Amino acid sequence: MEEDTKIRRETESRLLEKVGEVITAIQAAKHVDQVIRALHSLAVLLFPLDSSLLSGSIDQPYRDQVLSVKAPSEKERSDSFQAFYQGAAFPALARVLLFDVASNWLACFPFSAQKHVYDVFFVNGVVNEVIQVLVPGLQQNRISGLNIDAVQANIERLLVLCLLENNGVCQMARKFGYLCKPRCVSDKKLREDVSRVAQIVTSVPDKARLTATPSLSSHSFFKQIILQLLSGVEAVTMSTKNEMDGTFLFIGETFSRICRRGSSDVLLREVTPQILRHVQSCLLSSNGRVSTDLIESNPGSQFWLKLMEVIVDSYAMERISEQLLNQLVAVDASDVEAYWTLWLLFNRLLKHQTSIRSIFLDKFLLWKVFPVSCLRWILQFAVLECPPTTNVQTESHVTDSLLDTVQRLAAVWSKREFVQSVSVEQQAYVTAGIGLCLEKMCKEELDKTKDVMHSILQGVSFRLESPAYLVRKMASSIALAFSKVIDPKNPLFLDEDSCNEENIDWEFGLTAPKKGTLSISNRMEKHTDELKTSITSELAKNSKYETNNMVNDNEKCKSKKLSVFELVDPDEIIDPAMLTCESVSDDNGEDNTSENSDSSSDSSLQPYDLTDDDMDLRRNFSQLVDVIGAMRKSDDADGVEKALDVAESLIRASPDELTHVTSDLVRTLVQIRCSDLAAEGEEESAEEKRQGALVALIVTCPFQSLDTLNKLLYSANVDVSQRIMILDVMTEAAQELAHTKTMKPKHQTGVLISTISEPQPWFLPSNAGPPGAGSWKEISGSGTPLKWSKSYERELPLKPSQIKIGKTRRWSLRSQNTQSHINWSQNKFPVYAAAFMLPAMQGFDKKRHGVDLLDRDFIVLGKLIYMLGVCMKCASMHPEASTLAPPLLDMLRVREICHHKEAYVRRAVLFAASCVLLALHPSYVASALIEGNVEISKGLEWIRLWSLEVADSETDRECYTMAMSCLQLHAEMALQASRALESAESTSSAKSVGLKSSLSRATIKIPYSNVQY
Amino acid sequence: MMSKAKRPPPDPVAVLRGHRASVTDASFHPSKPILFSGSSDGELRIWDVIQHRTVSSAWVHSAAHGIIAVATSPLIGTNKLISQGKDGTVKYWDIEEGDLSRSLPLLTIKTNAYHFCKLSLVKEPVTNLEPTYREAETLDDAGGRAAGTPEEFSKPYEGETHLGGSSYVAVVGEESSVVEIWDLKTGERVVQLPQNSFADNPSFSSKERGMCMAVQAFLPSGSEGFLNILAGYEDGSMLWWDIRNPGLPITSMKFHSEPVLSLCIDGSCNGGISGAADNKIVIYNLDHPVGSCVVKNEIVLERPGISGTSVRPDCKIAATAGWDHRVRIYNYRKGSPLAILKYHHATCNSVSYSTDCKLMASTSEDATIALWELYPP
Repeated sequence: MEEDTKIRRETESRLLEKVGEVITAIQAAKHVDQVIRALHSLAVLLFPLDSSLLSGSIDQPYRDQVLSVKAPSEKERSDSFQAFYQGAAFPALARVLLFDVASNWLACFPFSAQKHVYDVFFVNGVVNEVIQVLVPGLQQNRISGLNIDAVQANIERLLVLCLLENNGVCQMARKFGYLCKPRCVSDKKLREDVSRVAQIVTSVPDKARLTATPSLSSHSFFKQIILQLLSGVEAVTMSTKNEMDGTFLFIGETFSRICRRGSSDVLLREVTPQILRHVQSCLLSSNGRVSTDLIESNPGSQFWLKLMEVIVDSYAMERISEQLLNQLVAVDASDVEAYWTLWLLFNRLLKHQTSIRSIFLDKFLLWKVFPVSCLRWILQFAVLECPPTTNVQTESHVTDSLLDTVQRLAAVWSKREFVQSVSVEQQAYVTAGIGLCLEKMCKEELDKTKDVMHSILQGVSFRLESPAYLVRKMASSIALAFSKVIDPKNPLFLDEDSCNEENIDWEFGLTAPKKGTLSISNRMEKHTDELKTSITSELAKNSKYETNNMVNDNEKCKSKKLSVFELVDPDEIIDPAMLTCESVSDDNGEDNTSENSDSSSDSSLQPYDLTDDDMDLRRNFSQLVDVIGAMRKSDDADGVEKALDVAESLIRASPDELTHVTSDLVRTLVQIRCSDLAAEGEEESAEEKRQGALVALIVTCPFQSLDTLNKLLYSANVDVSQRIMILDVMTEAAQELAHTKTMKPKHQTGVLISTISEPQPWFLPSNAGPPGAGSWKEISGSGTPLKWSKSYERELPLKPSQIKIGKTRRWSLRSQNTQSHINWSQNKFPVYAAAFMLPAMQGFDKKRHGVDLLDRDFIVLGKLIYMLGVCMKCASMHPEASTLAPPLLDMLRVREICHHKEAYVRRAVLFAASCVLLALHPSYVASALIEGNVEISKGLEWIRLWSLEVADSETDRECYTMAMSCLQLHAEMALQASRALESAESTSSAKSVGLKSSLSRATIKIPYSNVQY
Repeated sequence: MMSKAKRPPPDPVAVLRGHRASVTDASFHPSKPILFSGSSDGELRIWDVIQHRTVSSAWVHSAAHGIIAVATSPLIGTNKLISQGKDGTVKYWDIEEGDLSRSLPLLTIKTNAYHFCKLSLVKEPVTNLEPTYREAETLDDAGGRAAGTPEEFSKPYEGETHLGGSSYVAVVGEESSVVEIWDLKTGERVVQLPQNSFADNPSFSSKERGMCMAVQAFLPSGSEGFLNILAGYEDGSMLWWDIRNPGLPITSMKFHSEPVLSLCIDGSCNGGISGAADNKIVIYNLDHPVGSCVVKNEIVLERPGISGTSVRPDCKIAATAGWDHRVRIYNYRKGSPLAILKYHHATCNSVSYSTDCKLMASTSEDATIALWELYPP
């Protein structure tokens, strides 16, 4: 033993000397052949080298020297090899090789020389050591006098050679296996080494330059490493059963490092098919009767079982399991295969490691979003803990974990904050989780749990009020699943769509990628539509459900009765009435025949078309007062309906009395219960008519009706749906007012008092007329000289539209005037904008009986803000917009609104904010800045900051996109304003200097430019 | 006409416009192509139904009350006309001169009744369905038939009046549940039904039946010329009276659940049709010797309310005037529907047939009279 170490030391020191010689030789070298010769002299000592291979590539004097070097014996060589790589010699030489030689000489090396005296030190060396030298070299980028690019390219080339082409990683793994076999290294040391080497290996892609060969990119590099490890090591494991701890340790460490470096997808893409193949072969061999023992005893399984045991990094474990699930979906694994795959990899861990348990039962159920099939597997594996084919699901121990899971899920699900703050996908996922669990349960089990029933009911009930369709859909799906548990024969369908679906779609259609970006207004409109339908549909739900049942029952009864009826009942009681009926009809028959015989004219009595409708019988209202009267009689549904039919057209006719009845009419229309009066399925049309009438009313008679509507909006006598309806109607009316084209005569500036002191005699016709008219001339009557009146004529210029063809001209008192005075006024809204917006903005934060916009009735709040936004848009570019924008922005800035818990409200705020941006005229913004109007500039700045904030931290995807577009609008507005400002400055600077100072008070920021005004 | 596809119902052949208020009743001249009509503003118009023009017009009752009914009958004379106003009077006119405005009525009966029940002249079984004014319309059709002026044809009717004659009018009296018979010749009330003054009668009363809403006087073939009266009451019941026994009706029946609004006895006086405020039209047979009334057909309507009924003199078809603005035509024998006539755009008040069965007039609240030609005899 002593001898050994002594000999080794000697060899080591000898080698070190040699290396020193070589290094000095290299540094002193003047010619590349000198370098080659120096390296060769060392290489010969270490590797079985055939010197003749070099001879062709070097010049004569050196060739002889090279060829004359004597190769050492086998024993000597392996000794020095060991000493060289384990001692300090290799690192010292490698540094010179990698930096000095690589940058100064390597380019001149002939190919064979490069391979045999340069690469050989790395490729044929001990990979572990080589790697530890090579990889850090990648990052040495500041060494003076070196060609860094050449150095790094060389290192990368060597890495590819060592690790990839030479199966280096596999060698390393085996090496670790040997290391631990004779217990020559302590366990701790081994672990440290393993982890260091694995760390170095996996860091290669990150350390390599961007321009490095594609095989060093993380994707392909990891892929090749993984393949090497899997294929090479698996083969080895088969032969040597045990004591591969070091190898497994290395593989596991490498895999977890790969995961940590974010390439778990690459890892699992390679690993999953292998496991799956293994599981499939197990399943095949067992003929479908799989048992845990069978799989555990399979030698192939041992590899995976062991591998999973050595991976201790819980983060890596999470990534692995997550990716595994995704990969299983990607390869379309069947439920059984997926279950056994999960079982094989995670079963032991799940039992022994709490971290794994929490990954599967907490993270994967509550925080992650997987496809629903994955969710099924997770539940099957981690919660039910039995293979999916077995029918026995109600074993007690199984149920416990199931109940526990349901309870936890339901507790989370039933919280209102969950809906408010979590993304829709996540919500759908958790909903699906509960649903799938419920499908596995029965009523007794449900009864055992404490709060599940309560929290499910609570969650369902408040979800049904949500404005988002998907949220309501989730509620109804859960309700359906829940009702199936309670009473399988009597499922509860809360949603019409799913009426005939046996299986619930737990994915809620979310898997299909949503494409395209809708504009803000589109989105909002979509929501209003949804809202409308939701209100009415919910009302109809219950009744529909009942009728459905009724129909079913009836059909059952019928089918039963039919068979009964076919039997002839001898004791049948004959109704005397039926007999008389028959006789009567007989009589008629006789009657007819006799009549027919004596008069053929009866046959001439062919009936006409007897179809009849009652279109003409509808009561026609011609007076608004009648309409109001009819609508108030809520017990006469027909009358109300007819009144609704005519209301809009009557209002549009704008009769004189309209202003007097407006208030009454508005109240009555708002109070009508469309759902009560209309037949089922026609509520929509009645609702439309009612809203149409209200819109017409606002349009024709804005001030009075708005006054009443605004009062109603915050009165305690209306419910949420009516408030929403009021806001909808106001929105629509604002839009209509903004888009109407009216023909209104220009105000005629005629003289009210005609002056008699005209400079012409009274008997002449007035001089009024188009400019260019000639003076009046008396017509000398041609006929009789006696006339009691005089005629005058004058010449008129042609109208622009007139073409003088022929002699016919047409005159009338006010003919042509009208044409020139028609004024197409485009937007009637701005006049009424204040009446629309200001009263509605006043009461949003009041909390009274039945009115609680900020909290409970957040939908109303959202609608209100949306309406204000639309109003703003309708008034855009008008001066009214500028006066109304500050109060609106003030309202939006209120913390309870802009940071409202519900995404619905935040969306509306973003919409309103972007409407403000659209509505403000740039010149107004500019003048506000010049005049130091702090209000407006602060408001605009707030919009920018707030949108940024939203864009940064928002869970709701729509909010995010809207915030982005809001920012864009702000940028555009700012640009326009700055342009306006420049032009204003150029003019104002000439006039006054004092304005400048006030400019600094207000700021407006333009993104993407550093200009600040 | 025999084509498989259903024919659309016909339009009126003519529409007579001129009334300024709801036309309450119309009646054809027994022999001439003339139509009389009365409106709720008291105007009586005489129309030429060939030229579709007003012949004359007169305010014969006060505008405030208006006319309830106009009636003609061969039994009271061909140029005679009865008008009933809501002012409590029945006026008996001679239209010889064709102008009512300048002449006074032959007779004014003050019934002091202010109700809605239309009066009724006596109906006699039609034995001879010979056209009465055929030559007035088409000369071709008259070929081979006995020619003569309408006046000549109508003479035999006048002669036939016997046993108290037939120039009676049945109206509802001051007491609205009592039917009164007035003699147009003398202008006196002949009898009251029920007659409560009879000592031997244990006071039969029709009071509990409510107001009398419709009345029809007729002479069934077996009655030896004694008037029979059919009266419909507010509670939906009908009473059949024989004038010889004014204390007690022959029979009573209840076909309707709502007030009986109109009654019409067919040309043979063996049956009739009734319309009410409910959704039923009832066609029934009257068996005079037995004194029974049997329902022949019951027609259920979609929309309730029949304000007028009429059976064509040849007993083939019957027409009803409905509150639903429609005139409906039925096969009188079978009770099957034949046509739904949609022209009026307000409640129809009455329908009536011309004696020759060719024309039908319907009157309506929309102030028009529509003339129809359906199923020519």
